[in-house]
Amino acid sequence: MNATLAKPRPTGPSLRAVIRAAGFAGLGAIAVVVGLSNVLARQPADMVQAGDPLSPPSQRFPFGTDLFGRDVASEVLHGLAVTVSHAALAMLVTIAAGGILGFVAVRFPLRTGAGLRWLAGILGALPPLFLAILLIGLTSRDFAPVAAGLAAVPLAFIRAYDRSRGLARSRHAEFARATGIPATTLLKRDLVYEVRDGFLALATRSLAAVTITLSTVSFFGFGTAPPHRDLGLMIASARESYFDAWWTALFPALALMAFILCARLAAALDEGEQP
Amino acid sequence: MWRIGLKETGRYAAGLLGALLLAAIVSAMGAKAGLPAAALARVLALARFDFGTSAMTAMPAAAEMARRLPATLELVGGGAVVAILIGGPLGLLLSWGRALRAAAPLIQFVAAAPVFCAGLALLWLAHRFHWDVSAQKGLLFWPALLHGDAAGIAAALPAFALPALVVGAAGAASVELAIRRSAREAGEESYRKGLRLMGLGAFEVDRLYMAPRVLAGLLANLGEITLSLFSAAAVAEWVFDWPGAAILFIRSVALQDWNVAALVLFAFAAIALTAAFIGALAAYALGGAEP
Repeated sequence: MNATLAKPRPTGPSLRAVIRAAGFAGLGAIAVVVGLSNVLARQPADMVQAGDPLSPPSQRFPFGTDLFGRDVASEVLHGLAVTVSHAALAMLVTIAAGGILGFVAVRFPLRTGAGLRWLAGILGALPPLFLAILLIGLTSRDFAPVAAGLAAVPLAFIRAYDRSRGLARSRHAEFARATGIPATTLLKRDLVYEVRDGFLALATRSLAAVTITLSTVSFFGFGTAPPHRDLGLMIASARESYFDAWWTALFPALALMAFILCARLAAALDEGEQP
Repeated sequence: MWRIGLKETGRYAAGLLGALLLAAIVSAMGAKAGLPAAALARVLALARFDFGTSAMTAMPAAAEMARRLPATLELVGGGAVVAILIGGPLGLLLSWGRALRAAAPLIQFVAAAPVFCAGLALLWLAHRFHWDVSAQKGLLFWPALLHGDAAGIAAALPAFALPALVVGAAGAASVELAIRRSAREAGEESYRKGLRLMGLGAFEVDRLYMAPRVLAGLLANLGEITLSLFSAAAVAEWVFDWPGAAILFIRSVALQDWNVAALVLFAFAAIALTAAFIGALAAYALGGAEP
């Protein structure tokens, strides 16, 4: 027990920096692959009968073919491109409506911020996955990226709001108020520091979280529709065949996990999972 | 303690009220009247415990829910046991000493797998090793366990074990994280060094002062852990065809059966809020920070 709870010493900035750099390098590589997906993929998206159905991995089809004879390698590239672009949009929604709005809301007049914090607390009591499914059900499947982003908003909002409230009550804020510095100037200053110090971590944490939500809603059939299949939908369609043709599910799953892993490493997550 | 109790009770009541309003709005989506009027009517109806009827089966939504929720709770209960058994020791282990703490980021490799990928992988393994997951499912395992019915346990286990393992794996990640986070915060407290200087052994300090703090940290995250268990339950129910309420919610939304969807949402939110409320009070009683 004494060793278990010994006072932790930092693992050293170098390890954290290496992990983070590895994550960003991975995300950069994925961005390049996604940008060149139409060039790298040997078949266009959703091209059926490119080969015999359920052919195992071979020289001609390195990831094999699926039930409809589609080249799984090409489909993974196209699916990754769809997943990454949707996740990026969802991440922006989370940052704007969660991270930034949550930070600014503390300074809203008439306790509006407290009201929003209460609402975020209610929505935060629902699993983000359920929230995303509900939002898609209320709108349409095209709305899935925004829905996944909005589903991650409550937790991001609460986190940013609570941190901003701490800052608003800090000594430097008291000093600023006492010396007549306007509240908007103080807010701008705090926001600049917040974006400078926490933006990348928030962005990458959100990216990992919304990717999981997005791929899961697609797996349930609430996400993208063919021909724009994302990795979640590819894995869902492989359910028919993957007991015997494991490659139809394994390669999309590995691509999805690699993307999530890079985002999580880039965020150097070790103290919290939520965006 | 009373002040904290009242404050937390007020927060809990406000949370439940908000969840009720949200359920009323969702439920009003299926109404022909305008949304505000329909939502108000639904709030009044919900206050009378009138949850409406299912658009799919024409049965009362409450009956649909009552039929399905126990199966989800059974799965979540099994998952919680797995989560504590795996996540607890893992969290302590990864807080242990510098080398192991440095190894903590390795957990990211495991955590990067979405729950549905883990579920499908387990299903594939079950298929390979001829593990029968198609047996009768739902509300069999815990009753058999409570009655000490060995034959019943053996009959229910094949279908129950894998989905519970999937839910438990997701919960274990949350438990491990909560323990690691609270162990780090507790380890940074200055009183620890002071107590050592006063002559207390490291073991006594940890046992008497730090262990309750770590437990309090775990309890303070009870709401978050519950959320991850329910999220994973939805996936496990879908992958393993488990007849629970989470799958009912997904089907209700797909078929726009808003009364049922609203009721399931309200039930899940109420359970998560209750877990967070109990966890916050228990954490404070154990000497944790004021919630």
